[in-house]
Amino acid sequence: MIARGLELEGIATTLTTWNAGRTRITAPPRATFTQLSRGSTIGAPHDTAQQLRILNATLALLEHDAPLDYVRLDETMDDVNG
Amino acid sequence: MEILENRVEWERTFQDTWLAHFKKTGAVQWDLYNRPNQKIAPSGKGVNLSQSRLMLVSSAGSFLTDSQDRYDDENDLGDYSIRLIPSDVDPDQLTYAHTHYDHTAVNMDSQVLIPLGHLRDKVDAGEIGALTENFVSFMGYQPDISQLLDETIPLIIEAAKAQKADAVLLVPS
Repeated sequence: MIARGLELEGIATTLTTWNAGRTRITAPPRATFTQLSRGSTIGAPHDTAQQLRILNATLALLEHDAPLDYVRLDETMDDVNG
Repeated sequence: MEILENRVEWERTFQDTWLAHFKKTGAVQWDLYNRPNQKIAPSGKGVNLSQSRLMLVSSAGSFLTDSQDRYDDENDLGDYSIRLIPSDVDPDQLTYAHTHYDHTAVNMDSQVLIPLGHLRDKVDAGEIGALTENFVSFMGYQPDISQLLDETIPLIIEAAKAQKADAVLLVPS
């Protein structure tokens, strides 16, 4: 909803989420979907490589006009709590 | 285009079902909740991120421990306020008030929900033009979409415009 509000004000938005189902029905302008976990949206703790993959893919969407097809990222988490 | 399609219908259903049950019993019942089902995403122009000012919006419920009020995270009706937090904040200065996710990962590494370190590195590398002076934080448990529309979203839009944000990265918790 927030992404929609900002985009309607002319501010480009992007987001990433582990919850594709709940997010898809809000129809944001640009989004990446992962299979991560609640509380670790950008990636596993201290997994810089994963965090940057997710950030890079999500930020890259800003370069394109919306709406965009949502992008599924093959990112999972083995054990978020260590 | 509206932020929430069929707002009147959503509000009526919410008030007659989930909210009515809560007012009667004091308990939340999620199988009564009417999630919005938006059909059309807004259009918008892309930006050259290397020339843009980016604002982070986080629903992790973070606030400055020593100087900002805690969110009302125990309230079953949600908290619709925001906090503006410097984008160069030391993560050790943050507390998280949000009872609807496990804080273990963010307490180990704040980047998992508030990736400011990575974003600042990208500014230094020229990949992002700049970050806004402050990022926006709120507590992401907000069942009343009417309040989200009338309170939270206008505050976030105001923050984006005041700080001349060209683009926003949203990171839900």
